[in-house]
Amino acid sequence: MKKVRIAERAGWRSYAESVGFNFHTFDGEPYWDESAYYQFSLQQIEQDIEEPTEELHQMALSLVPEILASEQLLQQLDVPEFYWDWLADSWRTQQPHLYGRLDLAYDGKGPAKLLELNYDTPTSLYETGFFQWVWLEDQLMRGKLPQGADQFNSLQDQLEHRFATLNLLQPVYFSCVADNIEDKGTVHYLMDIAVQAGIDARFVGLDQIGEINGQLVDTDNYPLQSLFKLYPWEFMLREDFGVHLKSSKTAYLEPAWKMLLSNKGVLPLLWQKYPNHPNLLPAFFDSEPQSALSSGWVRKPLYSREGANIELVDHSGQRLKVDGPYHDSGYIRQAFHALPKFGDSYTLIGSWLVGDSAAGMGIREDNTLITKDSSRFLPHIILD
Amino acid sequence: MSKMTKRSRKAALILMVPATGFFLASCSSEEPVPSAVYKDADECAAFYNPPESCKAEFAKAEALHQQVAPKYQTQAECESDFGVGNCPQSQQQQASSGGFFMPMMMGFLAGQMLNKSSSAKQQVPTQPLYKSKDDLSTFRTANNQPVARQTGPVSVMPSRMQVAPGKMVNRGGFGAQAQRRSDQQSSSFGG
Repeated sequence: MKKVRIAERAGWRSYAESVGFNFHTFDGEPYWDESAYYQFSLQQIEQDIEEPTEELHQMALSLVPEILASEQLLQQLDVPEFYWDWLADSWRTQQPHLYGRLDLAYDGKGPAKLLELNYDTPTSLYETGFFQWVWLEDQLMRGKLPQGADQFNSLQDQLEHRFATLNLLQPVYFSCVADNIEDKGTVHYLMDIAVQAGIDARFVGLDQIGEINGQLVDTDNYPLQSLFKLYPWEFMLREDFGVHLKSSKTAYLEPAWKMLLSNKGVLPLLWQKYPNHPNLLPAFFDSEPQSALSSGWVRKPLYSREGANIELVDHSGQRLKVDGPYHDSGYIRQAFHALPKFGDSYTLIGSWLVGDSAAGMGIREDNTLITKDSSRFLPHIILD
Repeated sequence: MSKMTKRSRKAALILMVPATGFFLASCSSEEPVPSAVYKDADECAAFYNPPESCKAEFAKAEALHQQVAPKYQTQAECESDFGVGNCPQSQQQQASSGGFFMPMMMGFLAGQMLNKSSSAKQQVPTQPLYKSKDDLSTFRTANNQPVARQTGPVSVMPSRMQVAPGKMVNRGGFGAQAQRRSDQQSSSFGG
């Protein structure tokens, strides 16, 4: 694993905008960054990323029935009691899931460490599945990358296959907060892939969804039988319309049980069940979230997104905290494991799953140890 | 070795790519043909096209620019259509005909570059594109046919994209004899 500088393709921004990548720059700072790429060996990808990703996923799945069977764990994960039966139904009836992303700390040597699971509303999908794929093909065509360079990235192929085989009732509705440019980009990408898989895909703004006799409906009052939502389950449960989620005859993507695995509480549960697993970091529920954090620990809310409300103290006692809106749930503590540093940047690997298969990788860089919404996305190649 | 590659076989988009053009639905049997609009050869290459093809098509459009661009006797007339600063004096013609003005080429239509095997009866020629002062967001042909509002893939009606020599005020109709004769003798034609 190494970082290699490369010239940007002239005019890539116009190209990006023509294919719907309108968030390539974020608050005037680059988000898509092709001034360098990361290079991995095939062995690093297959042994250190791909295999552990599928293993960690199976370990996480194994927790779902255990959580559902335990009122104490459901309480500890801050799941409202009103939804427990409904959640258990979604698992018992094997409601299918679409995708997820594991965040891994990996420096090219030794086992990748699981930092967290993004199993409900993972983004950076388009950048990974489409734009970095085109970057590779493009740079190969220009002769700027060595022939034979490959990429760990079957994301779009696997998503198309997944949509084609999920047997969702159609039309399939796709929803997010309509004025969020990044979320909308992600949802449009998924809709594009769904259409290519032969699905009648339609967009409905989250705030446009209606309800008739407990059934969620679109703007024409047509029942939503299949609904992909890029919006956190923990928000939906607590909003006014939450009560209708239970009564509505709707197949959700991600299914309701997936909310258990996007909860940071799975990190201590994984450590309890698989102590000292090479890909896990020690983690515990934090019973005293007001107390000062000691050196070598990271504190995370059960529910948080994009690095918000995360606090860490490294081994030398340096403290780093990202503010945010997620302070109304419980917390966990996880052993601090520094992200590898390449030049001035800390590097995080996002490892994707489609269904239960590893499906590719996207790399984020930040100037700090906490990866955020604004962290840069860099492409990668595989080359032996 | 693992099976084949670790990346998708293809990564195409269909919804996110705006391939709509300005063609109107009509009763004619003509079908729109896919083409593309780019500012220059670099941008063309950035859209995942072979850089050599981009350079070649851009050169074709530039060459055609001299022939097909609308031409004006005065800079003011040209700028009233294409905007101040967008009408340099034509370099090529300057010496022989006293100069005229034409709008700058703002982009090009990459003809059949992406669609070489088109079965359409008429081909779409690669050609220069312009932007009028009143509608700076639209790329237009020299014949003032709108083509696209942004660069990238576009669908066009071939019949509307045919090129013709730019309408030009025909000046300098007198003097051909003088030019021919001046090769032989360098004396005055006065008397």
